[in-house]
Amino acid sequence: MNFSFLGKYWQFYVTGAKNTILLAALAVLFGVAIGLFLALMKLSKRKGLRFIASAYIEFIRGTPLLVQLFIIYYGLQAIGVKFPDIPWIGAILGINFSDFMSGVLTLGINSGAYVAEIFRAGIQAVDPGQTEAARSLGMPHRMAMRYIIIPQAIRNILPALGNEFVVVIKESSIVSIIGIAELMYKADTVRGNTFQPFEPLLVAAFIYFMMTYPLSKLLAHIERRMHTGDR
Amino acid sequence: MIDSNELIQTRDLRKNFGKLEVLRGITTTFSKGEVAVIIGPSGSGKSTFLRCLNLLETPTAGQVIFEGVDITRAGHDLDLHRRKMGMVFQLFNLFPHMPVLDNITLAPRKLRGLSPSEAEDLSLRLLRRVGLEDKARAYPAQLSGGQKQRIAIVRALAMEPDVMLFDEPTSALDPEMVGEVLEVMKDLAAEGMTMIVVTHEMRFARDVGKRILFMDGGLIAEEGSPSAIFSNPQNPRTKEFLKKVLV
Repeated sequence: MNFSFLGKYWQFYVTGAKNTILLAALAVLFGVAIGLFLALMKLSKRKGLRFIASAYIEFIRGTPLLVQLFIIYYGLQAIGVKFPDIPWIGAILGINFSDFMSGVLTLGINSGAYVAEIFRAGIQAVDPGQTEAARSLGMPHRMAMRYIIIPQAIRNILPALGNEFVVVIKESSIVSIIGIAELMYKADTVRGNTFQPFEPLLVAAFIYFMMTYPLSKLLAHIERRMHTGDR
Repeated sequence: MIDSNELIQTRDLRKNFGKLEVLRGITTTFSKGEVAVIIGPSGSGKSTFLRCLNLLETPTAGQVIFEGVDITRAGHDLDLHRRKMGMVFQLFNLFPHMPVLDNITLAPRKLRGLSPSEAEDLSLRLLRRVGLEDKARAYPAQLSGGQKQRIAIVRALAMEPDVMLFDEPTSALDPEMVGEVLEVMKDLAAEGMTMIVVTHEMRFARDVGKRILFMDGGLIAEEGSPSAIFSNPQNPRTKEFLKKVLV
């Protein structure tokens, strides 16, 4: 084992890790927004909304992430849909902003389908008596959802949602294929430059682990704290 | 014509769950200030009937007329009517993720437009009435069943409703906590609150009820004053039921 390349290439890993975190954070944000929206659609009284949400969820979950990435990255560009490039942000981050946003969009769209099912299950797990109490006080459906049901649902789903965050961090490595300079891409660059096939990737794996492991520990901690008010 | 004293009227109210006919045509009137107690064997439709009054259950047929408005008809804001009908549930249904005070103030703040301080004053006043002002900051999980139910009553009262519906409010309580909840209900009745109570507490029915409705098989089998129902029931089903429960 020879890790002496780190002396020369450590900045590659720092940049890569930073971009991976940014990519995953934005994707998760996007995914949670889509997921909550889809879950509410799926629980709606309107058949049309339920159908659209189900179709989205089933299709996204039933197709590979890589295919989705290529459809968004190559396919959308081919039909003329492209993210505007914002050079100054790209320059600060050391990335191509337009490509980066393709990655965020793909991961967010993908994660949204999984988050939707997590939210739906969490909302349905809240005691129906809670809705009845809220409605009996005269709260409209929307208000009951916002103040009574969703806060309790979030507590139910926190473990599953945290797990989804971890999954997104790991799966974000796939966007290295379209040349986004995140951790995997950078590690692969180091591998190419040093002709060392093994150690540069081990370092990447270690850094991924250092992101996901503390995150799952943190979520377990938050979960315990949130349950202190409970029976 | 509408008697100004009428608060809720039901006309031929029916409810089916699939093929099961739970309510088979209930027509009755509840007046302002009345304490009506609904008794009957389990499965007789008492709770379903109560839940139809504020449309937590949608009746299959028939009408509920509340303060002169047919609320079973489509095209009006049901939430506005529900604000005037407080409801207390068997399992309390307090909101577990917020302290007692927020449980009580949320609806008045959001729906009646009270300022936070107004809502808090109102809540503390009501909490004092049920002897729980020291629990304002507690979470529901830290309370006993009897305390939870008293809070649930306060939560409903904070909307200043015109009628209170009680759905077996003491059935889930340990025996030693039943009294404290019934005491609060008794006080409420003495203050003139209109109350419709589904319960198995026969003493409460006899002592506090102004009118007893005995339900059986989805119908009101017999109704009358407590003394008439408890001392001199006419319907054989009523007699049989009371023989079982009044040991």
